[in-house]
Amino acid sequence: MKSVALNRIVVLLISVLFGNISQAYCQNNGKLVLKFNNLFNNEVLEFGREYTNAHGEKLTIKTLNYFISNIKLTLTDGAEYVVPQDSSYFLVRQNDKATQQIELKNLPKGKYTSISFLVGIDSARNTMDVSRRMGALDIGGEAKGMYWAWNSGYIFFKMEGKSPVIHDSLSNNFYYHIGGFGGFQSKTINNIRSKTLAFTKPVSLKKKIPVININVDVATLFNYKTPVTLTNDSNVMWGELSVKISENYISTFNLGSVQY
Amino acid sequence: MRIAKIGWFLVVIVFLFTTAFVLIGRPKLMHIEIPSNFPQPVYDLKRNPITEEGFELGRKLFYQRNLSRDSSVSCGSCHQQEAAFIQAGHDFSHGVDNHHGRRNSLPVFNALFKKTFFWDGGVHNLDLVPINPIENKLEMDEQLDNVLRKLNRSPQYRVYFKNAFSADSITSKEFLQALSQFMAAMISANSRYDRFIRNEVVELSTAELEGLKIFKVKCSHCHDSDLFTDGSYRNNGITNDFRFDKGREEITLDVNDKGKFKVPSLRNVEYTAPYMHNGSLETLEEVMDHYNSGIKESPTVDSIFRKRDGPPGITLTDPEKKNIIAFLKTLSDKEFITDRKFSEYR
Repeated sequence: MKSVALNRIVVLLISVLFGNISQAYCQNNGKLVLKFNNLFNNEVLEFGREYTNAHGEKLTIKTLNYFISNIKLTLTDGAEYVVPQDSSYFLVRQNDKATQQIELKNLPKGKYTSISFLVGIDSARNTMDVSRRMGALDIGGEAKGMYWAWNSGYIFFKMEGKSPVIHDSLSNNFYYHIGGFGGFQSKTINNIRSKTLAFTKPVSLKKKIPVININVDVATLFNYKTPVTLTNDSNVMWGELSVKISENYISTFNLGSVQY
Repeated sequence: MRIAKIGWFLVVIVFLFTTAFVLIGRPKLMHIEIPSNFPQPVYDLKRNPITEEGFELGRKLFYQRNLSRDSSVSCGSCHQQEAAFIQAGHDFSHGVDNHHGRRNSLPVFNALFKKTFFWDGGVHNLDLVPINPIENKLEMDEQLDNVLRKLNRSPQYRVYFKNAFSADSITSKEFLQALSQFMAAMISANSRYDRFIRNEVVELSTAELEGLKIFKVKCSHCHDSDLFTDGSYRNNGITNDFRFDKGREEITLDVNDKGKFKVPSLRNVEYTAPYMHNGSLETLEEVMDHYNSGIKESPTVDSIFRKRDGPPGITLTDPEKKNIIAFLKTLSDKEFITDRKFSEYR
């Protein structure tokens, strides 16, 4: 009897000690990469290079950051796979190539037909305590400059640069800091935008790791649903126009090729 | 059989060692008593339990001038204990380079029970409160990541953080949690009024009791519960010029919120002059006169002040004003403003 009890305890101890390791081995290792390609008028975006927007205004860009979060994938049978929320926040920065590739791991095996994500951070996370703001959400770390302290919330999309159409007294600078999660006690601006991209052919995880290219042509920020000119609106942060801008830029997130 | 015995022995040893490892070097939990006349805390202490080491570290950080760009001001500069953690005698506080802030500093106590922070309610979690003054150009004009860099360079602070959070390097999480622990533990609930209401044998004078009665009728609609605020935003007509400061409208962008500011708690009000978001009233007598006859008209003035005829306000006779002030002074918590636990020097 005794040895049976002992066996059980030993087995229990071993399983507690090695549980994590065995779990990792048994889990599906399905990987998929999302690659964000920042463009301006279909050309690869480069900081400091001169571009012309739809209104004929010349500009150069020096900052481009945006948050991608709450990633979901749909399988051919209609089932949905939601990337665990705690590991579903990414800050894509033009000045850091590594951040432009998001690797999703442990996806269930199967064929995927579409992907959806938020450009921005969901409202719940915007009101959470600091212990749930790690990694890409760390205000004193990776997310530096992507948070409003006085009006607590993340800046979802940030683009800055210069244009000769902007007055010298403003050092020719333009600023687009777009955020707003909808408010805590009263309704405020909501600039959380979601995007769903359907693949032309189902993407299988059986072969090599698929790389899904997502093209982000920021020229669209100036001209999609609402024309935005540098001459009139070179500094947009907390205000009604930010909603128009987020509607413009969400349309820039488009599916490119899928590579294996 | 013998193998079984050795097996059991091993099991016991393993158990003892793990328990010892878990217990030794663990920060000591601090007992936080929620006053019986208070509502339940809003801040989730389970996610950031207050420990003696964490609280003490938070206290050090609160009085640490390095948190500002030029090491000239600490949190404690504008939140002084003897003034119930506001800056005594200042309508607007001094920041770095002698800049002046835009609003009268608010007291820090009973933060554990607050849903939102600052006069416009722009921050919704205690953990995120310190970033606001640290990064404000007129206040400490520093950057959070740079504060962390300074702290990480200090061998002393690295030890404090190691003891409080077992953290090898100091990140936003531990830094803000330490400050939250200190602020969350700042509970002010031992005024004469509190002892009276909790039946702890303190008698109030006739004037104070009379004041309490009038207060219940004429003031407690907004200064509700034993926190003495309902946490709402209202325009109390202290000004009708909102060019400099639109109040809550700056957060909601709703013109109906123009000139609205958070209803502040009245606890320790005796110590926290000057009054109002712009610090424009210096005495409690002036505050009474304001509500009686000084409200400045504008479209968003709170409906509570509207009368059937005449200008908005709360009708108060001179004896009523006196008695209300007598009552308000029973909300002074001497013990809290002299408690060495919260003091810069001890």
